[in-house]
Amino acid sequence: MEEKQLVRLAQEGSPEAFEELARKFQPKVFSMALSFTRNREAADDLAQEIFLKAYLALPRFHGRSEFGTWLYRISVNHIKDYLRKKGRAKEVSLDDVQELSFSDKEQTERADEERRTEARRTIVQKFVEALPEKYRVILTLRDVQGLAYEDISRILKLSPGTVDSRLHRARRMLRAKLAPHLAGEGGTYELS
Amino acid sequence: MSCRKAEKWLLMSFDGRLEARAAGLLEKHLAACPSCRKAEAEYRSMLALLRHGRDAEPLPRFWERLAPRLREETEIVPLLFWERWSLRAIPVFLTLVVLIGGFLFLTPQAGELSQSAALLFEDRDPLQETHALLESGKPETRTMALMFASLDEKTPLRRPTP
Repeated sequence: MEEKQLVRLAQEGSPEAFEELARKFQPKVFSMALSFTRNREAADDLAQEIFLKAYLALPRFHGRSEFGTWLYRISVNHIKDYLRKKGRAKEVSLDDVQELSFSDKEQTERADEERRTEARRTIVQKFVEALPEKYRVILTLRDVQGLAYEDISRILKLSPGTVDSRLHRARRMLRAKLAPHLAGEGGTYELS
Repeated sequence: MSCRKAEKWLLMSFDGRLEARAAGLLEKHLAACPSCRKAEAEYRSMLALLRHGRDAEPLPRFWERLAPRLREETEIVPLLFWERWSLRAIPVFLTLVVLIGGFLFLTPQAGELSQSAALLFEDRDPLQETHALLESGKPETRTMALMFASLDEKTPLRRPTP
């Protein structure tokens, strides 16, 4: 069944239609929540709340955008509210990150590759969290979630030019913060 | 090419948004500039770490846990539909009231027209009667007639009290 038809049926109160929509979009919504929270349980709760919110807001969806774009907009706004309430938007102390980095270095000597990768991601994520919200959101949508520029533009209601310049700045800021932790060896660069 | 421009183009190339000619120029610059090569490697490493874990799976039984919560909300949904329609009805109702009120207020009422206005409305000469009086013979009759003629229909007449 086509997405528009499913949306229409869900708006008329069909739980089956909404279930099909939810099953289609739940991995993306969960993944988005996880990339912001870095906590599977919190991401799961957020994803459930996002679908509840979307279900209740369905009568107000007029089909002016794609259902996915509309759902991602709800997701981003809900996640931002959650992070504000949790106070996660505050600046992360560089000392904390440095400590984590040293601890990670010790662990990498005896841990497997998966563990090291996870630790690196944690460091990167800490720096992403330290970015101002407008840069963090756009970087997550593009470089973590892999959404297209056009989709980001519609979700955040920003012009493509603003998306472009904001993303460019976000990447530069993140690299500047990560630079001391990046070391080059034989042409490949990994976190030290 | 400046390193700043090279960095901009480098980031565009990661998104596949750099034209072939610009990509060629960037490649030449990278070949000649060690600091930009370092930046390229750092960006690649950074983006690879960010992209990792993009396709995370939700916790098991996601829908089975969500469905009962949706069912609970379903009871409220009809009310929301009603609220939505009633909220839309309010501005429509107010607009209608304003339009009808305005129409009634602005439309001239025939009963409220003064005698002179009524004569003008009917395309008659308001001075016609006056001319007739002036042309009549007795001065007293003319004076009295003119006095009464000048009174508007709505002006209450005072009868002399005995």
